[in-house]
Amino acid sequence: MISRVHHLKNIIKNVEKNILQIFGLPPRELALAYTYEKRLPEPKKFSIKDIVGDGILLAVPKFRRTVEKRLKRKFGSPEYTWKMLVPKTNIIVCNSCGHYHERGHLCAHCYKKVEAETKEIQDKIQQKLGNQKPIENDVIVLYNGESLPDQPKEFWRGKRIIEMKKDRPQWFSKNLLEKTTQQPSESKDVKPTDLA
Amino acid sequence: MNQADVTKLVSKLRIKVPDKHRRLRNIKGPEGRLDKLRKTVTGLIKYERIELNHHRADEARQYAERLISEAIMHGDCHKPTMDIADYWLLEKELIHKLFKVLAPRFENCNTAFTKMYKAPRVVPGRNIDKAIIELRGNPYPSLTNKQWNNRHLLQNVLLDAAKYEYRQAKYAEMAEKIGKNEDAQPKSDDSANSKPVANV
Repeated sequence: MISRVHHLKNIIKNVEKNILQIFGLPPRELALAYTYEKRLPEPKKFSIKDIVGDGILLAVPKFRRTVEKRLKRKFGSPEYTWKMLVPKTNIIVCNSCGHYHERGHLCAHCYKKVEAETKEIQDKIQQKLGNQKPIENDVIVLYNGESLPDQPKEFWRGKRIIEMKKDRPQWFSKNLLEKTTQQPSESKDVKPTDLA
Repeated sequence: MNQADVTKLVSKLRIKVPDKHRRLRNIKGPEGRLDKLRKTVTGLIKYERIELNHHRADEARQYAERLISEAIMHGDCHKPTMDIADYWLLEKELIHKLFKVLAPRFENCNTAFTKMYKAPRVVPGRNIDKAIIELRGNPYPSLTNKQWNNRHLLQNVLLDAAKYEYRQAKYAEMAEKIGKNEDAQPKSDDSANSKPVANV
């Protein structure tokens, strides 16, 4: 409760303020001395930077890893991803060459030579018959010193014949020239050169 | 209920055709998958033997077999079959090959028209399954060796003869031993003394 004295004091103050504002405030040089109450500095707020300073923030484990989690991470599980080495029990010996290969897969050693020969023949075919003419006949591959088997000339006319300029590989049988859908030959005698 | 006879609509392929097709990964999506398979089938018909990844090979195989089967069944005067061949074979000279070379070749064929083998895995390398797919009756050397156990090769003939001689010698030895035992103990039973025949 403000006492009446204070109330009057305030009124006088306000009147004085209003008059001064109307007539303009007097120059500062004429101002009377007054006490300058220094405002105290605000109490410093606590910040984490006081402790940490300009350091680097590093991640750190929050909880201990259980032994189950550790083992799962290290060894995996058979239902998910097995992280242990497993021996291969499906390696067998090739009956033709004696090298090893996986069961169900081709032998790498045998396949290598077949692949090379196949590529040669394919390149030759594309080279000779790779023009855009319509393909109407089978391809017959002949090697050095080979002639077409005994068939009437009409049979061979129009057939696409590729002559490889090399000797027939030992492992590529001659019998492949005979196709099952072709007519069987009528010659009764077997020539020595025609044996496999 | 009378079930319509659906057995004659589409021929039964002689390979395993699963119910769902593989969703081969492609930037263009399903359309890109078909484009890739078209290229593969074209390549197979053109080169008659190709090596590629196992999954795409298996898919292409199904389409190639269906294509050849339709060509055999309907021939080249059938418009829908010609449209199918036109779609699947990107090089148009191969359409001639399909109807004039492959259809007669596989007309009386009782087995599948293609053969697929698993290619050898390159061991220090990525675990990618490669397959080799080829048309039957191609002019290239065979990938399998069916004659690995040819008894008529000279070395096998000699080895078989040597094995036979060794066995005969062993049998003679055993017979002698049994004879000796019989003489020593004439009353004892044969089965108790006879030794089991060793596998040579």
